Amino acid sequence: MSNRRLPRLLQTPAVILLLIWMLVPLSMTLYFSFIRYVLNSLSRPEWTSPSLSNWRGFGNYNFVLNNKDFLLAIQNSLVIVCSILFLTVIFGILIAVLINKAFPGRGIVRVLLISPFFVMPAVNAVLWINMILDPVLGLQGIAVESINDVIDGLRTAPVVGGFFNLWPQIEPISFRATQTSAIAVIIMVTWQWTPFAVLIFMTSLQSEDQQQKEAAILDGASTWSMFRFLTLPHLGRPIAIVVMIQAIFHLSLYAEIEIVSRGNGNKNLPYLIGEFANNNIGAASATGIFAVILANIVAIFLLRMVGKTLME
Amino acid sequence: MAIVAQSTRRGRISRATFAWIVGLLFFFPIFWMVLTSFKTDADAVKPEHLFFFTPTLENYLNMTENYDYWRFAQNSIITAVFATIFALAVGIPCAYAMAFNPARGTKDILMWMLSTKMLPAAAVLYPMTFLTKSLGLFDTKFLIIVVLMLINLPIVIWMLFTYFKEIPKEIIEAGQMDGVNTWGEVREILIPLAWGGIVSTALLCFIFCWNEAYWTVRLTTTDAATLSKLIEGNRAPEGLFFGRLSAVSTAAVGPIVVLGWFCQKQLVQGLTFGAVK
Repeated sequence: MSNRRLPRLLQTPAVILLLIWMLVPLSMTLYFSFIRYVLNSLSRPEWTSPSLSNWRGFGNYNFVLNNKDFLLAIQNSLVIVCSILFLTVIFGILIAVLINKAFPGRGIVRVLLISPFFVMPAVNAVLWINMILDPVLGLQGIAVESINDVIDGLRTAPVVGGFFNLWPQIEPISFRATQTSAIAVIIMVTWQWTPFAVLIFMTSLQSEDQQQKEAAILDGASTWSMFRFLTLPHLGRPIAIVVMIQAIFHLSLYAEIEIVSRGNGNKNLPYLIGEFANNNIGAASATGIFAVILANIVAIFLLRMVGKTLME
Repeated sequence: MAIVAQSTRRGRISRATFAWIVGLLFFFPIFWMVLTSFKTDADAVKPEHLFFFTPTLENYLNMTENYDYWRFAQNSIITAVFATIFALAVGIPCAYAMAFNPARGTKDILMWMLSTKMLPAAAVLYPMTFLTKSLGLFDTKFLIIVVLMLINLPIVIWMLFTYFKEIPKEIIEAGQMDGVNTWGEVREILIPLAWGGIVSTALLCFIFCWNEAYWTVRLTTTDAATLSKLIEGNRAPEGLFFGRLSAVSTAAVGPIVVLGWFCQKQLVQGLTFGAVK
């Protein structure tokens, strides 16, 4: 066998498997998105099985575009992904710089820090929304209540009492409401993915040119300007990687959204699809095609800008 | 330099303290989960029992008796292990060909593979359910293994590719001169040289398989249900049972977190996709 043909042969299984994995369901989705197809309908039983005679053209797409949740879901998807990216990069850099120098117990701190990354997303969501963020039973509720108790006690104190009388009771925040549940999702995913950013930035910081830094210190450079002009440019590539890999994972965020915002208005695109799919497969498929288009826009953007630099 | 060193002595201490605080804060939710798992459901919501309570194993015993934890755990292990093995079996030859005999389209193929991961799973859920049910594969371990393998294959190939690229081409070529065939090359030169990279790829793939909660929940009912399905079934209306919930959660994430601790160095290396040295 020639040396040229064999390599191609070796990569065919992977390529074919991924092609099937991508094309078969996708073409079915495309087909369903052009027909009327619902799971239950008493008045129109003929719509309950996929068939070309139920052709609807772009009707499903129109339906989805006119649905009030659709734009909201796209907006929400982007807000959630961008916030998570922003927060993890900022926290990641800060913490990486903090633990970059040796200190007693650094190994243990590293282990503590990376742990959230291994937690199953569903457990992450259940843990945060119930046991930490719950306004009554969670730690948040307990903390708010005890702060209120302390303030109540201080109101009767002799001198400072008058001051504390002016303080209002603190209200715990419910993270299950439409406006706040996106914040809850952002908090829990940021908690899970900051460790990932920290470890990548830390690996990169260790290869930073130390001599350059020492020279800068001798020249009287401030800590901030050293960070700004030496460390930050050095982190350019790792930041690109953190952004790319996280975008891949968070665009299809589902478990967290489902557990936190079940039944309220905080939907992202995958969740909206799931909702349609309870009955209206046609609409769900059309939304799916929109989601694929959105993912492709992001993918082209990211992979062209970031991916190519990874290959060199 | 002496001045610098002196002036940072106090800074060093506060830096270490601060680093410890950050580390403990990040770990706190996990610690809290484990702690709560040893409380009774009643104690778990009482402020006066936040830290002081009589520990109990009741939740864990309950879990193994009522929920059949071991069956879910067994399914998780079987599906994750086999998916990882198959992903490596398909991924190693592919990454080998790409790293040592790159063609013009190789980069594009790699990009395309990664982009398949961006496709929203929800978009193809219904066709997948439809197909697997009509093929009789729904709720089988085989199906879960195949799906887990496919969703992780792009990452596996990328990671292997970046590791293989580090190996000098000359070594492989020297092997060819000695008349070793391709299979021999892979087995006797590539795999030993890239062993560390292969192991970290396998670990990461295993972790992602274990934690996967979209397909494993939606394409199973009982026979192939994994731990993520167990969590799914235990979360919603029973939110008041924090002790029980914590025990199930701890049992589901415990093995993988501990595994992660032991292999964190290798994992980090792999996750940087070879772009950060």
